[in-house]
Amino acid sequence: MNLRDKLRAVAGEKKPAAPPPETAHNDCWRRDTLRGAESLPALNAPLGDIVPLMQPGEVPAGLRPERILYLDTETTGLGGGAGTVAFEIGLGWETSEGFAIRQLVMRDYPEERWLLRETEALLSRFDAVCTFNGSTFDLPLLRSRFLMNRMDPACLDLPHIDLVHIARRVFRLRLGHCNLGRLEEVILGQPRQGDLPGSEVPQRFFTYLKTGEFGLLEEVLAHNEQDVASMCVLLRHMVRCYANPELLGHAEDLLSMGAALEHGRHAAEARRCYQLIPAGRLHAMGQLRLAANLRRSGARGDAKEVWLGMIRRREGGAQPYIELAKHYEHVERDIPAALEMTVKAIALLSEPSLQGEAVQTLRNALQYRYDRLARKAGASRKDT
Amino acid sequence: MNVDQLAEVLRRDSSFMENVVRWEELPVRPAVYAPFPEGLDAKLRDVLAARGIHQLYSHQASAVEAVLRGEDVVVVTPTASGKTMCYNLPVLSSILRDPDSRALYLFPTKALSADQVSELYDMIQQCGEDIKTYTYDGDTPAAARRAVRQAGHIVVTNPDMLHSGILPHHTKWVKLFENLRYIVIDEIHTYRGVFGSNLANVLRRLMRLCAFYGSRPQFILCSATIANPQELAETLTGRPVTLIDNNGAPMGRRHFVFYNPPVINQQLGIRKGVIPEARRISGMLLKNGIQAITFARSRLTVEVLTRYLKDMVRDPMGNAGRVRGYRGGYLPTQRREIERGLRAGQIDAVVSTNALELGIDIGALDACVLCGYPGTIASAWQQAGRAGRRKDTSIVFFIASSAAIDQYIVNHPDYFLKKSPENALLNPDNLYVLLSHFKCAAFELPFEDGDGFGNAPAPEELLDFLTEEHILHHVDGRYHWSAEDFPASEISLRSAASENFVIIDQTDPAHHRVIGEMDRFTAPMLLHENAIYLHEGVTYQVEKLDFDACKAFIRRVESAYYTDADLNISLSLLDVEEEVSRGGVTRALGEVKVTALVTMFKKIRFDTHENLGFGHVRLPETDMHTTAMWWTLPDDTAAAFSSDTLKNGMLGVTNLLRIVAPLYLMCAPQDIAVLYQVKSPITDKPTVILYDNCPGGVGLSQKAFGMQGLLLRECLNIVTSCACENGCPSCAGPVGEIGMDGKATAAQLLRELVRRST
Repeated sequence: MNLRDKLRAVAGEKKPAAPPPETAHNDCWRRDTLRGAESLPALNAPLGDIVPLMQPGEVPAGLRPERILYLDTETTGLGGGAGTVAFEIGLGWETSEGFAIRQLVMRDYPEERWLLRETEALLSRFDAVCTFNGSTFDLPLLRSRFLMNRMDPACLDLPHIDLVHIARRVFRLRLGHCNLGRLEEVILGQPRQGDLPGSEVPQRFFTYLKTGEFGLLEEVLAHNEQDVASMCVLLRHMVRCYANPELLGHAEDLLSMGAALEHGRHAAEARRCYQLIPAGRLHAMGQLRLAANLRRSGARGDAKEVWLGMIRRREGGAQPYIELAKHYEHVERDIPAALEMTVKAIALLSEPSLQGEAVQTLRNALQYRYDRLARKAGASRKDT
Repeated sequence: MNVDQLAEVLRRDSSFMENVVRWEELPVRPAVYAPFPEGLDAKLRDVLAARGIHQLYSHQASAVEAVLRGEDVVVVTPTASGKTMCYNLPVLSSILRDPDSRALYLFPTKALSADQVSELYDMIQQCGEDIKTYTYDGDTPAAARRAVRQAGHIVVTNPDMLHSGILPHHTKWVKLFENLRYIVIDEIHTYRGVFGSNLANVLRRLMRLCAFYGSRPQFILCSATIANPQELAETLTGRPVTLIDNNGAPMGRRHFVFYNPPVINQQLGIRKGVIPEARRISGMLLKNGIQAITFARSRLTVEVLTRYLKDMVRDPMGNAGRVRGYRGGYLPTQRREIERGLRAGQIDAVVSTNALELGIDIGALDACVLCGYPGTIASAWQQAGRAGRRKDTSIVFFIASSAAIDQYIVNHPDYFLKKSPENALLNPDNLYVLLSHFKCAAFELPFEDGDGFGNAPAPEELLDFLTEEHILHHVDGRYHWSAEDFPASEISLRSAASENFVIIDQTDPAHHRVIGEMDRFTAPMLLHENAIYLHEGVTYQVEKLDFDACKAFIRRVESAYYTDADLNISLSLLDVEEEVSRGGVTRALGEVKVTALVTMFKKIRFDTHENLGFGHVRLPETDMHTTAMWWTLPDDTAAAFSSDTLKNGMLGVTNLLRIVAPLYLMCAPQDIAVLYQVKSPITDKPTVILYDNCPGGVGLSQKAFGMQGLLLRECLNIVTSCACENGCPSCAGPVGEIGMDGKATAAQLLRELVRRST
């Protein structure tokens, strides 16, 4: 057997060969598209003020919408690694005429450097880059491509807004999965029709490479164009919601946004979300978080009012009693009142339908609190 | 009693001595010192001085000097001779001088990496410099990985992780690759056969990337004693390597006792089993307070022996913590605890598989019992090296089993004691292995026209082939990866399945706990339903094996027996690639599917080892596609024997091939499998088959096929020159296995095969 036959034997069945496509390699393919400004949701607050609420750090103060470059890549593999190439880069930005999208495609590997050069040039003209999952996927991949082409990846160190984290923090509780398609459908109310599944993208490129039929990439480009445009719509939508949480309308989203704001140490903005939660299943949780927020912010009296309000509305079970017991004991030093709240909490938890380890732990803790308070009460009685 | 006293007592014990084939006393070896090499950083000398080290052993000094001269080196030294200094000194010295410089350490196992890192930490702490040493393997938390990639001066990992976790993602490791000064590879003698062939190619890929980033690291390699350390090192690295073997470490007196258990059935040539003998000898050491390690060949034997020894020392509460088992499948925390216990002297006896053979630091013990031959002389010496104080006397017992190779060793102690005859062999240019790594390399960095791949032959032909297959895309003088796959995930360097079974103890219904893991190929043997599973000497019964979910559920039971499963292997033909017929003998090469199936198990009583009955196993088959070669017997030759005689003869031939083939194919015995079929479904005739015992094969069968009559002639030589009467484990097999007529028939079959086919 000669080496070729052996290689055949090692590799298995034969596949037909096709001639490589003819292309000139001193530039890449590009297409510019302009979408009307009417497709973009109007901003209700300066974007630069709101973005810092949505994600910590990074973004410069006073960032203006037209200073953001939106970026999305289409790649030869979804797993990453040095052999994965971004064969298409979609870039978008707001202009006075509307939303401009530039799509760059390498028609063959030697054109990759032109994609990267143009991307580098564009990035240098903006103050921030916005992606959907770019911190995990697109940006590390491009960094790797720059290095592989012996180019400096420093241009990628622009302040970065990653929409996947921003959207996930607010909508995951309600939606579960938060990919861009689902957000477009449920949050933006713009379901996609006949979209090419992302998993089919690499194979499209390889088939194009084999056959030279550029038309095969048309659906990829359409998919990418939509991704880039959607990012801008989504960012503006998120800004609107953060500026005006009333727009959210769902208790889950309000609760999540409150948690996200609190995580970012925006306590006052978080309270506003909790206060907006409508009556219903999640109202009590919102009230408890609100009271905890107030307590941490030093507004202990306000927190007490929230707990008392919960008791009046008979919501939250034993929780408001427990919180009040702590409040009376440690803040107001009112032992009899603390004792009373503890007794009521114990009574509520004695409900035989309440079972389980967590309830038992809570009961034990309350019993312990009760004993301690009773001791304190006894001691103070003796003193007087 | 100390070891010297014990040795005296044993020598006067005639019932013991009658089974001792050879009692070798290895003399005291004094230390040979050498001064610190000039080029070492002064700070490092101070650190060593603070540790009471004012000079180096001769081999350490030679190694450091050679490295400082810029040479690639391989250091060959026995266990516990301070070899880690040979690489830690130059590495630390270079980092002290240039804080940007980096080193990569490769150890064959994760356990070993963990151990070496802790030792390095100690030295670095004493240096008082900020030298960051990190382990990077499957256990490294995702959050810590970034720091390792950016800041690690010394990155400690294993070949598998380098292959699939580092090289394909090299752009995240720019710092490491740009500044890589040293590549340290310890225990290189373990990189033989498939594993070694793979590693050599991983290193080719590594060097390619280093060239891309502009670094040219030096290699510092360490090996146990083998015949060809330099050749192995040079094949692995593709570079000329300087051999350092002037061991200067001292060693106390060492007794080496070759013990062959008595023949209990003269007619059948059956000897007393190794387990009861090991129980007796290890038990004697335990009773006399001599700290000892017993090495057993299988996990099962480890568990059986652990239990026996534990029973000897149980306190009234049933605790026997002075005796521990140790093997793969125990959780890492448990293993670390046992290692600590050994170092601290809290454990008197440990029974282990070869898991403790490599350089994990357990301190030096007084005695070592080898319960059967571990397969290679290098392994045997490493295991034996676990016993050996620098000053005091130590003792090693080698207990031979009835296996051919054991009997050969015990009857030829000089083969073992004299210069090692063992060659660690690998073939980096094996086409299967090479092609896989070519893909990985192309994924990592496009090949350019005229590029080589280490010293691999004909790279352009492989590249053009992959281009035709549309895996690569050739344009403007470069070959670009153009497939969706991640090629590194398609290769396992050890050629074993990566999926492990977890073992879940559900004795306490409220608290199920994972007590261990087992690989996919072993699980059907040891974890089938109703199997008695032994773990640290405790008996569990397997209640359920969820094959699809890779989970085994077990419960603690008191059991008077253990189980031993029967493995059935069947073959089916996928494709004949080549066939040569001459004189009625057909020699062929092809692709086969090997199907392994466990159908039943035996229950064997502890202590008496009597068979208590059988049980059935219902499990799916496990399939493996691989390459095979086979010989068919001529019809008239086969017809000359009764069917039983023919079977015995063919069994004899397969036994001989199992001994001969690994020597000529340059592989480990377990890399191939040999079997016979009286009426083979492949050929419809009596057939002897040899196949590559790993998925996909590594080309061993091709090689065997290409040797034509050589293997058969060698088998014939062994069987005709063996002095035994009717067969023994060293030739066609013991009479008990091949019958009274097996040896003669095997010889006759071989003679016919050789005569007709050449």
